[in-house]
Amino acid sequence: MSGEKLRVVVVGLGKMGLLHSGILNVLEGVEVVALCDKSALVRRFSKRVFKRAVVTADVEKLRGLDLNAVFVTTPIQSHFPVVKSIFASKLTFNVFVEKTLAASYGEAEKLCELARARGSVNMVGYMRRFAVTFRKAKELLAGRILGDLISFRAYAYSSDFLSNATGTGASAFRGGVLSDLGCHVIDLALWFFDEFHVDLAEVGSTNAEGSDDHVFFRVSNSDGFGGEFDVSWCMADYRLPDVGFLIVGSKGVMKVNDDKVELRMKNGKSHSWFRHDLDDNVSFWLGGPEYFREDECFVKALKEGKGAEPSFYTASKVDQVIDEVKRRAGLDGR
Amino acid sequence: MGAKRDMALLVGDNPFHHISHWSQERAKARGDKLKDPEYAADLISISVDNGANGFMFSVSETTLSILRVLHERGEIGRLTFYAIVPYAFEYVRLANKLGGVPGLAKKFAKEIVLSGNLWAASRGLKGVLCADLASIMKAYLSYEISRITSSGGKKANLQSVMLHELITDMALAFNLDWLFKAYIDFMLKCTVTPGFNTGNFAFLVKKFREWNIDLKKITVAAPFNKVGFQMIPSKTECEKALESFHEPIVIAISILAAGYLQPIEAIDYITSLPNIRGVAVGVSREKHARETFSLINERLALCK
Repeated sequence: MSGEKLRVVVVGLGKMGLLHSGILNVLEGVEVVALCDKSALVRRFSKRVFKRAVVTADVEKLRGLDLNAVFVTTPIQSHFPVVKSIFASKLTFNVFVEKTLAASYGEAEKLCELARARGSVNMVGYMRRFAVTFRKAKELLAGRILGDLISFRAYAYSSDFLSNATGTGASAFRGGVLSDLGCHVIDLALWFFDEFHVDLAEVGSTNAEGSDDHVFFRVSNSDGFGGEFDVSWCMADYRLPDVGFLIVGSKGVMKVNDDKVELRMKNGKSHSWFRHDLDDNVSFWLGGPEYFREDECFVKALKEGKGAEPSFYTASKVDQVIDEVKRRAGLDGR
Repeated sequence: MGAKRDMALLVGDNPFHHISHWSQERAKARGDKLKDPEYAADLISISVDNGANGFMFSVSETTLSILRVLHERGEIGRLTFYAIVPYAFEYVRLANKLGGVPGLAKKFAKEIVLSGNLWAASRGLKGVLCADLASIMKAYLSYEISRITSSGGKKANLQSVMLHELITDMALAFNLDWLFKAYIDFMLKCTVTPGFNTGNFAFLVKKFREWNIDLKKITVAAPFNKVGFQMIPSKTECEKALESFHEPIVIAISILAAGYLQPIEAIDYITSLPNIRGVAVGVSREKHARETFSLINERLALCK
């Protein structure tokens, strides 16, 4: 693919679709050649804005565009049918999907199988892996700075549905708090600590009976290492979503969130890194530097024909944990 | 060298919205007092007493309430105003709650109609029917300006209306030169300086020159700080772009790099730069308001 512009289509023009379209438009060697959205109103405006791109409602109509990759940024519930239809119509086998990969682990497994069979470059939009603070934490953990890991506490909080007057409809549209917000912290935990299983899960409702607004769960692995997660989108004073960890090891403690990494060692030494200290600048700023790095990573993988992370397979593990939490909490029948 | 002229010394509104780019913990630790428009107006008045001459704010119910307090106290004429629209965070949050962009569009259309601004409502309707983004933008701007003037009163000196960075940067990414030009023309007709809040200062300057947009007619608010925090793509590139101007058009924001820098080193860096028209700094306590603007004035005086 080197030398030619990569021809990309974005399916789903909500806020994430617009954000990825914008970044792709400024990335060198990439051309957004088509856009796809079910809403007639969105398509009408898109035609005015993207004068050189094909704008359509139907993925099937993207045939013949000689595409190199598709970005799927539709609601989570539609990821599986959309990606399946992209593979079936052989538009391209290189697919980026916004998080989560699918609405269930069963669907995620099927998408992994399709991608594996086609040998595609695939990736899922867990953008916090591209945040400088979490990258620093990963690097420190890989260097075993904390010694033997003992336990962790993880949280993901927002105020998105604090005093929600719109009921459960909007929260369901976003796939529930675990898929919408909790998935980020689950993905980071899997990235930091590898696999684990769910021991206990509890769900609480704030807005309406049956809505999953708070989720608490405990996990552990075969070595006895474990931790707990607290996820809620009904917390006061979280203007932006906040995700973080407290990790305890034999040599000290690490705290990490979107803003900073802090180490407190048992030998009395301590150190903090803020975003300022971690070379956070990118070539173009849209929505935050993480999104640019994420798209740049996928495009680089496409150009080099190599795998990208988090791949479908890696991201499917998040869906597996979400399903396990739901099962433990008795939500799987809903 | 250096920005020493009659600079706009603006009180920024981030603390009033509970925003800290340093950390959310810090924003939360500031407490609820800052949500009180009376207290926020007090902080602005103290800042003005110590040398500030303007207020830069995102147009929201929070900041409009502060304008109403300043108006009621008869203090509105002491300041110039730099308004940023839309208050993108609120709209993104609403879109999340209302099930995406279509839900948000419906709510917003309803608000314009209920505002009684018939010109804006008719423009907006035309925009939707003809899929005409420029018309929708004009309707929206008219609506926001009317909210500001009705809150601040006739004496409110609205110096500039600036497009929020999310809109500016999205339009830059999509090469929407026609949208920028329509915006500039409309604002100039309203006798308000068209402004752009951007996270991509160097890129914006390059693009505007390519599109033959007259940079002398506009104001740009962009991060400038000693450590290059959020200076995209780099501190060097942003400084180079700044030096290429022939007159000051830039309002420097994030000068303290979200609290990473001490005020004195932050201000000394800004005063060493050419073509800075002003600075915006948020204040969250009386002491902070007094000291910050006194210090800025002191350091500026040394440069004269």
